Amino acid sequence: MYSYIVRRLAFGGITVVGVSIIVFLIMRIMPGDPLTAIFGPEGMTKLTEAQRQSYMEELGLADPLIVQYFNWIMDIVRGELGRSFFRAESVGEMVLRRGPLTAQIAILSVILSWILGIPVAIVSALRPNTAADNTARVISITCLAIPGFWLGMLIVLGLLFGFGYRAPQTAGGLGLFEDPGTVLQIIIGPAFVLALGQAAYIARMARSSLLEVIREDYVRTARAKGLNGRLVVSLHALPNALLPVITLSGILLGFVLAGSIPVERAFGTPGLGYAMFTAVNERDIFVMQNLVFLYAVVFVMLNITVDIIIAWIDPRIRYQ
Amino acid sequence: MTVQPETPTAGETGRAAQPLPTRIWGGLRHFARRSPLSAFWGCVALLIVAMAVAAPVIAPYPPLKSDFRSMQKAPYEEHLFGTDQIGRDTLSRVIHGSRTSLIVAFAAVLLGTTLGSFWGLACGFLGGRFDIVSQRIIEFLQSFPDLILAMAIAMALGSGTGTVIIAIAITRIPFGGRVIRSVVLSLKEMSFVEAARSLGASNMRIMLFHILPQCVAPYLILATTHLGVAIIIEASLGFLGVGIPPPAPTWGNMLADALNAGIVPPWWLVLFPGVAITITVLAFNLFGDGIRDVLDPRLRGAV
Repeated sequence: MYSYIVRRLAFGGITVVGVSIIVFLIMRIMPGDPLTAIFGPEGMTKLTEAQRQSYMEELGLADPLIVQYFNWIMDIVRGELGRSFFRAESVGEMVLRRGPLTAQIAILSVILSWILGIPVAIVSALRPNTAADNTARVISITCLAIPGFWLGMLIVLGLLFGFGYRAPQTAGGLGLFEDPGTVLQIIIGPAFVLALGQAAYIARMARSSLLEVIREDYVRTARAKGLNGRLVVSLHALPNALLPVITLSGILLGFVLAGSIPVERAFGTPGLGYAMFTAVNERDIFVMQNLVFLYAVVFVMLNITVDIIIAWIDPRIRYQ
Repeated sequence: MTVQPETPTAGETGRAAQPLPTRIWGGLRHFARRSPLSAFWGCVALLIVAMAVAAPVIAPYPPLKSDFRSMQKAPYEEHLFGTDQIGRDTLSRVIHGSRTSLIVAFAAVLLGTTLGSFWGLACGFLGGRFDIVSQRIIEFLQSFPDLILAMAIAMALGSGTGTVIIAIAITRIPFGGRVIRSVVLSLKEMSFVEAARSLGASNMRIMLFHILPQCVAPYLILATTHLGVAIIIEASLGFLGVGIPPPAPTWGNMLADALNAGIVPPWWLVLFPGVAITITVLAFNLFGDGIRDVLDPRLRGAV
């Protein structure tokens, strides 16, 4: 088990380094220098050559790329994550202030997706190709086609017109335990929207995995020794069928972090996703560089965590 | 002397003798019978494509023309989908939006999947150090959620149709690379490759004439299944302000406009572009599913 974890972490480390290089390359080598990104093409023409030079020096962009890269890595190691071009706050502070809200949204959405997806999958798998199964299929396919941010806008509008309700506005940085009522009102909308798409994937995966497991010998044995159907499903079939669902859920959690960017924009939620939206619109390459890297690292770490959890649950994987 | 790669598939021998139009028609009928739902949504997808092609003819108003006598009007007879803050017709903008959406999605998926597929072909066929390094790079690329990678690239390149296409295409490369590589790896062990090699065919010849044709089916499946995702990413980029810049209408930037319009966006500006996205994605997803089932049932869930 330990050797498996070490091996997995080592590969993860290599991936993180590769990811940092890709992020750096995207932000620096792409056509147009970083100043164009900050000032825009029109602003660029108004800058004199001397101004350009001084800005470049000030931002550390005049150094050779290798030096810039290592400076950035040192920043990350120190936990500073660079500075925004437009704000006083460093990216590190921003992540600490806004990150928890996005993390809560992501976790709540995973929980909701299991609550929505698994029962549907059980019903579908126990009665495959019936009306119930087909309805579930149609609903899940539709859920995959609806853009989350649009659904979010509709929900906000619907609540406003139908009930005159508007989620409380805060500047972010609220802990769940300081003010659970407010936080829950803020996160429930985005979490629900993000949960729908995941639930569709989970329902499909859990259904096919359950259908496979139900045909296994040990399920037949459990039936043969006289256990009733419900016990067989909940105690024998379901736990084994959930392994691939856990993997999937972990991968989806990473995509939820990305999906939360437009969804937070739609709801006006002051989380990290909204910060990313602001940064991309202000063309704030330093914030973008660090946030994109952070998201990718979280994504990689989620995948590693899921692999380790699966290996811990299922010993067959460890010994491969 | 050439060797015909022998790939027996059920029902292929009888149809091959008939003229091409009959075969295509027969194939379509076969497809419709196998999966009527996909055939229906395939027709919807075709209609949407037709709408995009004929947008200037169908749309009742020019998409950029603002009419200051009817600004931010709810739907009525003259403007069936209402008008936006500066009096542009929403219906016309939704119709024209399908153009940009589909052009971007098709171009991005075609570009990304093709590049990825050739890369995968090379990886699978050459193997060795090239393959190991390529797999690492693909893994790095897959360590980003699609949307975030696309956002970063689109921002770095500056906004425009071309950059959005490139940004989305790059997120599609790893899928092509992975899937085609695994197909090639299994094809390489088949006896027709061995036969060609024993007849003295060069590596290049085997790759181009014996293995490449076998990759067409998985390639088509990949391309069609990724259209829906590409449309959603394009809309999200537009919504986040890094897509195709206004005033050109796209479904994404129409939704962004609606949100920027005021504290409470008018419902018709929100509803219609979103419905357009949903129906289009639904159509392409289900059509893609159908194509996959017909072309290669083994790939169910693999792509």
